[in-house]
Formats: sequence, structure tokens, C-alpha cells
Amino acid sequence: MSYFLNRTLSILLTLLLISMITFAVTNILPGDVAMMIMGTQSNPEALAGLRQSLGLNDPIYIQYAHWIGGMLTGNWGNSLIFKVPIATLLLQKATASAIIVVMSMTIALALAVPLGVWSAVHRDKWQDTVSSSAALFGVSLPDFFWGIMLILLFARTLGWFPSSGFSDPGEDFSQSIYHAFLPALALGLGLMAHLTRMTRSTMVGILGQEFIRVSRAKGLSERTVVWRYALSNAIGPVATIAGLQIGYLFGSIIVVETLFSYTGMGWLTYQALLNRDVPLIQASVFVIAAVVMLTNFLVDLFYLLVDPRVRLG
Amino acid sequence: MSAVKRFLTTKGLIGIALLGLVLLVAILGPWLVPADFATRMDMRARLSGPTFAHPFGTDQLGRDLFFRVVLGAQTSLTIALAAVITSIVIGLPLGLISGYARGHVDNVLMRLVDTMLAFPALLLALTISAMLGPNLQNTIIAIGIAFTPFLARIVRGEALRVVQMPYVEAARASGTNDVQMIIRHILPNIMPQIIVQATISLAFAILAEAGLSFLGLGTQPPQSSWGLMIQASRDYLDVAPWTALVPGIAVALTVLGLNMFGDVLRDVLDPRAR
Repeated sequence: MSYFLNRTLSILLTLLLISMITFAVTNILPGDVAMMIMGTQSNPEALAGLRQSLGLNDPIYIQYAHWIGGMLTGNWGNSLIFKVPIATLLLQKATASAIIVVMSMTIALALAVPLGVWSAVHRDKWQDTVSSSAALFGVSLPDFFWGIMLILLFARTLGWFPSSGFSDPGEDFSQSIYHAFLPALALGLGLMAHLTRMTRSTMVGILGQEFIRVSRAKGLSERTVVWRYALSNAIGPVATIAGLQIGYLFGSIIVVETLFSYTGMGWLTYQALLNRDVPLIQASVFVIAAVVMLTNFLVDLFYLLVDPRVRLG
Repeated sequence: MSAVKRFLTTKGLIGIALLGLVLLVAILGPWLVPADFATRMDMRARLSGPTFAHPFGTDQLGRDLFFRVVLGAQTSLTIALAAVITSIVIGLPLGLISGYARGHVDNVLMRLVDTMLAFPALLLALTISAMLGPNLQNTIIAIGIAFTPFLARIVRGEALRVVQMPYVEAARASGTNDVQMIIRHILPNIMPQIIVQATISLAFAILAEAGLSFLGLGTQPPQSSWGLMIQASRDYLDVAPWTALVPGIAVALTVLGLNMFGDVLRDVLDPRAR
């Protein structure tokens, strides 16, 4: 029980730190929010008045206190470019991103785990060379390059999938999956390459251990040894690595969603950054970092459940 | 097997060849190719495919893609290298102090670093770049800061390992002070891991620069970088796919070379990770 209490406190502390870093980073260069709202041609007195009312003349820690107070009480303010409440906007866009994040993770795991295991079993043989080289090539390509290739092949040449746009899953679920497919695949392929490399190296380590030799000596079939004994020991580490890749994925969605004009969190964050919509930047950067942190916590919890050797300490 | 021999695997050789080629292009390119070759417009050959006059084709303004890729190499590599150096300059002392001091100092510093790790590197770099105003120097700062927590974490872990070694104990018993200890005994022994990590970071930095420039928050025109070239190609994918392919392949080959080199370097320098 004390473990969960500790973890909860630790999460709260980390959230506080995340909010501080977010605020610090977005205040490096004091971009004038008042000027953004009123435009560059506005009357200097009105500008000064707005600055005063927005609290922009206050010391930085007071401004932070205002901001974090607003975040805690659910008053996230309005976006300067979209002119709507930020909380509503984020919630709506987060659903769109959740679809492609889940889809790409599924695609990546479904392909990477078998490929990594296959590669490890045939270590240093041609099968390993082929799959390891493909994975190495995969991690060397930028995500947007995957995206452009997919658009060229599946949208422009074959015409199977749309090259851009988003469809609301609440209205038509199959349409929304259809629109999410190419962006999810673009994210999933890069991710798959990373995970294949990780699965392979984890499995190579496990296959060299004593209990595998004993299982083989007992006369168990190779299939049981590899897919049941070895793989069940690899699930924990692989899941941990997959969880850590969530951070990488949330970086990549900015590029991929923008490329596919898929209006999710990544696209929204990019619009905010491009237009220096500071309140929206702060909120979305904070939310993304918080989601990444919480995902990693859940993965730790999962590791605990699947691997009894990890004791609560 | 000697270290050199272990390096001469197929992977190591391909890695060295790719890196050598890219470095040669980046260093010699600007010497051999006049700078205006990348901006000279051939209006009769806009969006032309590979021809004898333009072996890699041309872009929407009729600029030769071969020359643009050659001259963009230096920008992309310089930014990546400077960003990785920035991350080492900040991350190395941070990790060393954390791992050497242990206790409360370590707790506080690593809590901060772990929190930084919750921010996706690309998001952090994009935000810093957007806030500072995108240009070449700020791109370097943005990527450098975004990569710092990864480096600090690795340095700290290695320092923690080395600090417990008998030779550190022996040095301490003979009266070595903290500064000498870090510089003479700890740093040299974690150098291999830092070099491996720097190589891998370099690959990621090239990708990050391309990503930032692609989104318009990195290198700015009229400078030419590979990411910017891919960004410019987006509107012409239908008619001229090579405008995306040429810089894309340049990025891929460079990063591939660095990854192969890094993999083999790790096998040679850090046999535990095999």
C-alpha cells in the first residue's frame, strides 16, 4: 500500500515539475501576448491596459501562480487563434490523436514482436541479417519521409486511402479509421523498426540463459521453448520499451498529423507554436508531458503484474 | 580479437563508408561548388526529372537538386554536431555531479532530468525554437537542450558504476580530491559510453533538424538544409516526387551510416551491451 502512496506523491510532484518546466520554457522569450490579442497596430494605452489586466506586468512567480491556479480549477482560458476554450479544444483533438496512437502502437507491436523473436532465434544467420538491416534502415528514415512515401504510394498512385483529413469517430467510425490509417501507418513503421531492434536484443539475452538450455534438454519442442518460455520473459522489458516510445510517438505526431492535415493534438500544438498562441502552447505541452509521464507509470505497473520477480520495494 | 579487427565487420565497413562519403561531401562540397549553384534558377527546366544537365532533377524554381543536396549537407551536419556538443556541455557535468555526489544532490538532479524526459524531445525542441524565434543558432540550442536529459541520465548511470570500482577507492585512500578524481579517474573510464551515446545522438539530431526545418521552425531560407528541401517538395509531390526523394535519401543514408557506426562502436567499446 505504501508503494502506491509513494507513487501517487511522486506523480503529483512530477506533475508540478512538469508545469514549472512548461511555464519556464514558454516564458524564455517574453512574447507579448497582449500584442498578439490586439494586433501590432493597436493603441499603446489600450495595450498597456490589457497587459495590466492580463497580469503580464506581475513578477514571473505570480504569473506562474495565476496560471497553475487556473489549470487546477479547470479554468484553462481561451485560445488566442481559435477563440474557444482551450480545455474543450484539447479534449476534442485528443480523441483524434488517441486513435492514431493506439493504431500505430498496435501495428508496431503486431509486426515487431514476431520479427524480433524470429531474428533472435536465427541470430547471425541470413534471416537475422535481413530483418536487422530492414529495422536499421527503418530507424534511419525520418517519420515525415515515411509519410510522404505512403502518400505517394497509397493515396496518389493506388488511390486506396485519403492523403489528408480527419473524420469524427462519433459520426462514422469506419470513416475515421479510414482517414487515420495512413498517418497511423507512417508512425507505426518507424516505431516498429525501433521495437524490432529492442525485441531482438532482449530475446538474444534471454535465449542465452540457463533455463532455456534446461528446457531444451528436457525435450520441450523448440516452439514451446521460444514462444512460451523465452517470450513470456521478454514481454516485461519489451512492454517497458514500448511504453517509453510513447514519448517518441507524441513527438512524431506533430510532424505526421501536420503532414496529413489530421487535426489532432499534434496538429493543434503545431498551429499554436506557429502562431505563438502562448496559452494554448502551455496547455498542450503540459498535457502531452503529463500523458507521457502517466503512461510510463502505467507501464511500470504492468511490469509489476506480469513479472512476479519485480518485488514492491 | 583486437578492437580494430572487431570494427572491420560488414556493418562497420558500410557505416564508415557512408559516413566518409557524407563527411567528404559536407567538407569539400562548399570548396568545389560555388555557393550560387544552389540558388541559380534554370527557368526552362523547372521540376525537371533527372537529366544529363541536372542528374538529380530540379525543384519548383528550376534549382539543381544535386547542388542543393551537396550544399545542404554542411548545414544539416553542422547543426547536428553543434547540438550534440551543446547537450554534452550541459549534460556531462550534470550527470557527473549527480553520479559522483549521490544522495540528495543525485535525487534532486535526477528528478529534474526524469521530468524533462517526459517531454518528447521533438516537442521540446519545437517549443524552444518557436519561443526563441526560428533560426540556425536557435535550432542548435533547441535540439541541444532537448537532448541533454538523455545524455545526463547515461553519464550519471556510468559515473555511479565507476565510483564503486576498487581503483576509485584506492585513489580516494591515497588522498585524491574530488575534482582530480572526476577528471583523472571517472571521466576517462566513462568516455567510451559517452562516445557511443554521442554517435547515436548525432543520428537523432540529424532527424530532429530535418523535422524542425520540415515544420518551418528550424533552418530558414535562403539557407538550404535537407529538411527545408523536403518541406518545399510537399506541394509538388504529384508532378515531381524526386524533389522529396533526393533530400530524403540524403538524410536516410547519413543517419544509417551513423547508426551502423554507432552499433559497431558500441560492440567494440562496450562489450557488456552485446
